Amino acid sequence: MTRRQRRLTLIGGSLAVLAIAAALVLNALRDSIVFFSTPTMAAEKHVPVGKRFRLGGMVEQGSLVRGDNLAISFKVSDGGATLPVTYKGILPDLFREGQGVVAEGALDAAGVFKADTVLAKHDENYMPKEVADALKKQGRWQEGSGGKPVATQGASNAPASVTQ
Amino acid sequence: MALWFVFALMTAAAIFAVLWPLGRARSDAGGTEAAVYKDQLAEVGRDAAAGLIGSPEAEAARVEISRRLLAADDTERNIPVRTSPIFRRAVAVIALIGLPLMAVAFYLPLGSPRMPDFPLAERTRAPSASEPLDNLVAQVQAHLEKNPTDGRGWSVLAPVLAKLGRFDDAVTAFRNAITYNGDNAARRADLGEAMSAAAKGVITAEAKTEFERAVALDADEVKARYFLGVAAEQDGRAAEAASIWRAMLAKAPPDAPWRPLVQAALVRVGGPSLPALSDDTMASVQGMSADDRSAMVKGMVDRLATRLKQDGNDVEGWLRLVRAYMVLGDRDKAKSALTDARQAVGSDAGKLQQLNEGLKSFGLGG
Amino acid sequence: MIAEAGHYALVLALALALIQSTVPIVGARLRDPALMNVARSTALAQLLFVGLSFVALVTLHVTSDFSVANVFENSHSMKPLLYKITGVWGNHEGSMLLWVSILALFGGLVAAFGNNLPLSLRAHVLAVQGWIAAAFYLFILITSNPFLRIANPPIEGRDLNPVLQDIGLAVHPPMLYLGYVGFSISFSFAVAALIEGRIDAAWARWVRPWTLVAWIFLTLGIAMGSYWAYYELGWGGWWFWDPVENASLMPWLAGTALLHSAVVMEKRNALKVWTILLAILTFSLSLLGTFLVRSGVLTSVHAFATDPTRGVFILLILCLFIGGSLTLYMWRASALKQGGLFAPISREGALVLNNLFLTTACATVFIGTLYPLALEVLTGDKISVGAPFFNLTFGPLFVPLLLAVPFGPLLAWKRGDLAGVAQRLMAAGIAALVAIAMVWAWTSGGAALAPLAIGLAVFVIAGAVVDLVERTSLFRSPFATAMRRARGLPRSTWGTAFAHAGVGVALIGIVCETTWNSEYIGTMKPNDVARLAGYQLKLDDITQRQGPNFREMLAQFTVSRDGDKISVMTPSKRSFTTRGSSTTEAALLSRGASQLYISLGDTAADGGIAVRIYHKPLVLLIWFGPVLMAFGGLLSLSDRRLRVGAPKPAKIASKPPRALQPAE
Repeated sequence: MTRRQRRLTLIGGSLAVLAIAAALVLNALRDSIVFFSTPTMAAEKHVPVGKRFRLGGMVEQGSLVRGDNLAISFKVSDGGATLPVTYKGILPDLFREGQGVVAEGALDAAGVFKADTVLAKHDENYMPKEVADALKKQGRWQEGSGGKPVATQGASNAPASVTQ
Repeated sequence: MALWFVFALMTAAAIFAVLWPLGRARSDAGGTEAAVYKDQLAEVGRDAAAGLIGSPEAEAARVEISRRLLAADDTERNIPVRTSPIFRRAVAVIALIGLPLMAVAFYLPLGSPRMPDFPLAERTRAPSASEPLDNLVAQVQAHLEKNPTDGRGWSVLAPVLAKLGRFDDAVTAFRNAITYNGDNAARRADLGEAMSAAAKGVITAEAKTEFERAVALDADEVKARYFLGVAAEQDGRAAEAASIWRAMLAKAPPDAPWRPLVQAALVRVGGPSLPALSDDTMASVQGMSADDRSAMVKGMVDRLATRLKQDGNDVEGWLRLVRAYMVLGDRDKAKSALTDARQAVGSDAGKLQQLNEGLKSFGLGG
Repeated sequence: MIAEAGHYALVLALALALIQSTVPIVGARLRDPALMNVARSTALAQLLFVGLSFVALVTLHVTSDFSVANVFENSHSMKPLLYKITGVWGNHEGSMLLWVSILALFGGLVAAFGNNLPLSLRAHVLAVQGWIAAAFYLFILITSNPFLRIANPPIEGRDLNPVLQDIGLAVHPPMLYLGYVGFSISFSFAVAALIEGRIDAAWARWVRPWTLVAWIFLTLGIAMGSYWAYYELGWGGWWFWDPVENASLMPWLAGTALLHSAVVMEKRNALKVWTILLAILTFSLSLLGTFLVRSGVLTSVHAFATDPTRGVFILLILCLFIGGSLTLYMWRASALKQGGLFAPISREGALVLNNLFLTTACATVFIGTLYPLALEVLTGDKISVGAPFFNLTFGPLFVPLLLAVPFGPLLAWKRGDLAGVAQRLMAAGIAALVAIAMVWAWTSGGAALAPLAIGLAVFVIAGAVVDLVERTSLFRSPFATAMRRARGLPRSTWGTAFAHAGVGVALIGIVCETTWNSEYIGTMKPNDVARLAGYQLKLDDITQRQGPNFREMLAQFTVSRDGDKISVMTPSKRSFTTRGSSTTEAALLSRGASQLYISLGDTAADGGIAVRIYHKPLVLLIWFGPVLMAFGGLLSLSDRRLRVGAPKPAKIASKPPRALQPAE
């Protein structure tokens, strides 16, 4: 083979691999990325049943109910809308009522968000970044109020729960 | 002084590092490419002898490497070595003047050369009388970090934290005091108070529970009962609040120091209760200095305003707020509260009407 | 005084870095050896001063000097001594100081042991190191200064974060940094070559030990970080495709490609332009990783720093160095002479294939990591690209790569004989088929891909063994001869075999863990028994214990199998009273390379406790593989050839060279 032919083989091979990789990436990007929504955004967009997304917001005070066999339900609110969430398993150490949470899963037919993962990611104010951004955008965040959005306080007369 | 001496030493060392190679007459010449290729040739020889590569391949490799070796020898021999005294002198000047100047120019705005070190060992020897309250608190906290079950420690620390305005910490401390120093009504009431202080005066559901527990432990717990009244008031149940406070006053000894406070609260929730006050108590309210009284009332009005900002559905509450501002003589605030109220209940025609009806008597207009 | 001396030392280091970055280049232009040698002494002095500065910060943390803001914010007098020290780099400012210290360390090593380098190349390399160092000193002094003081020193420090008090977290960042920053040397060599406009086979040999050192540390750092996440986070996961993890994986992939392409360059003087580009890209990805982690653009457990001015500053450094070096590359690369020829089927061809797949895999990770960020900036949509994406892209790319791994070392240079190599790999192929059949039979059907993947891993391992057997002609000649030949083999050959086998070992661990991992999640009360993978785990007792600064709830499990008691496991949950926070301490029990893993959840009202138990078959192989790879790298590093040309024996890999002489 001449130098030119060899170079062409090399370039052809590289292009083939790159094309395969590009196809894989595009395919994977279509199927396996997960969007982030707050309850309000989820309601506005009418997320179809069974479509996976990440739900972020605040765990509503007094909404956490522990059922049998590690079944757990709670409500996630962003001040505007509220979405009931069910989860089976062990919650992360840092999960608290009145604090931020991100859960991954999908809506079922009854409009309940069935989470298969509850994430413990947050900064020192127990506020996941996405949630903080979303709440700021909706004007429900007060800078400097200790990282607690105004939305979750108010007239909830639910039985108190120990948050320590 | 010692610090500047150290700085000078360090600077001298840095300057020396720049000057040292400049002053050396002969410096090492460094490695060459040729050495690498010679080794590669030897390696091919070893590999061929060990049978790792066939002899034609070894021969081809030798030819290739030899060609590189020749080329490298060529280029390397063509590099003359020169000395440029002018540049060497320039670099020396930069090192002697520029380097210290730059270091000082950078360090002075950033550093704090006058500040001594302050390690822990030195600090613990320092006299404690002159220390500010914060430091004492920190010491107690450090002690409790080691002995978290020291209930008495928590009981001492908690009210101090509350006084310092660190309500969240105070809540934790009161909780620990209850856990490790025993549960009693007074501590529950203090805990509830700290909780509501942390929530800027709003009696949260949590705080209310604490007050209820306190009353359950001791039906005569004054603080808890008072705050239960406030909770009722904040929830818009003025009558219930009034009845709680009236019951307190009825039971209270005439010289109880908190009487004026409760009476003022009673006045706030509604006029009709006024006749129930004895002449004594009226006198004691009047006995307060005017400043105290107005400060007390103002605090309560502010709390009401905060609550309404979060939950604007309470028409009665809005009316009370507007009236309070009118009484305090703050017409502007009354008007802005009115605007807020209209916005808050705007979507509900019935409530809006109720609001307007109530406002007729105020003479605010608009 | 310590604080101020440390601060001043850092400023002096900046001044020295600025001199180091200019004078040697002028010297190289003028061909003045004295000016060129300024690079050497300033690099060493710079190392001295940064070292002083770092030691000063460690001292301040150890003595709990809260008049220093950094100590006040990130330390506490009650911390155990070890965590006072490791807390130095547990925060942004301290970790950046560690970063530049390691940068200066590598610069100092080149200055001290680079005797075999031509004078002008060494001057250029150290000057480029000086640029990088100066940029980061400025960054530290202006935006993240660890030596700022507090006028009225508080009595107690702020931080006692229990999650950060862990030995894994203590060792993992320095390891990673040694890897990240080590690639700066390859970068500096590449830029130096571009400035000089001349590059030859010798360059590849000179740069090889530095690339190897960085690669070894990065391999170990990644493995250690993964193991830390596995036992500390209590989820039993070992790789999350978290952007922070990806940030360390990308330079690793590019660095691995660089190691391989540099071999082609060293032996055949080919792929020069490509190797230079890889060296630039590898360090650029390291810088990108630093940017991602340090600027706080990510949502991640690792991103503690969230100050935008810092982010912008690092972004500027990033653009300056990546943009600058790539511009220089485009300008000068065409001037570099082309090297040797080779056929597509040859050792060179195999290494090109390796490079192609590694860089493509690296590119997919790059896209998966940065696409969410780009999308958020452009459209405001927030998405997360998780494990499914990487499994779908990364996995398929690695299969052909691993298939090709055993062929590479057996192919001849220039023109290889594929059929001959295939014949020699027959044994490895048979071993793989047997493994597939056995796994298939043992698991009685089930996931079809897993046995195939195990077969692939066995093929890679057996291929490495075949390579050694072929080179020593173990079964064709008397045993003693084979042994003699084995001793005569270059250490880098052994290194290659170990590193390749390590890949296979890790793959077995990964496949077994993900496919046959079983878990039990439920509420247990004392005397309840959980059954998992043939083990019985009985919850004996739940007890409370008072720790030094926490209360601990311990659960004691008796593990038995077929009625025989094996061991006792005690997972726990700690609550830190003063902070009101809690951590989960998982309990691990190794059985061979497999592990049982228990972590606790919340206690229920009726006295039961939520328990999560995993059985992870062969999970330890996941980390044993990288250790094997790093060991291979170490063997390669000790190869005598890397020290050739040194007037004095260099001490970087101080093995007695005599022992390595071939016996012939």
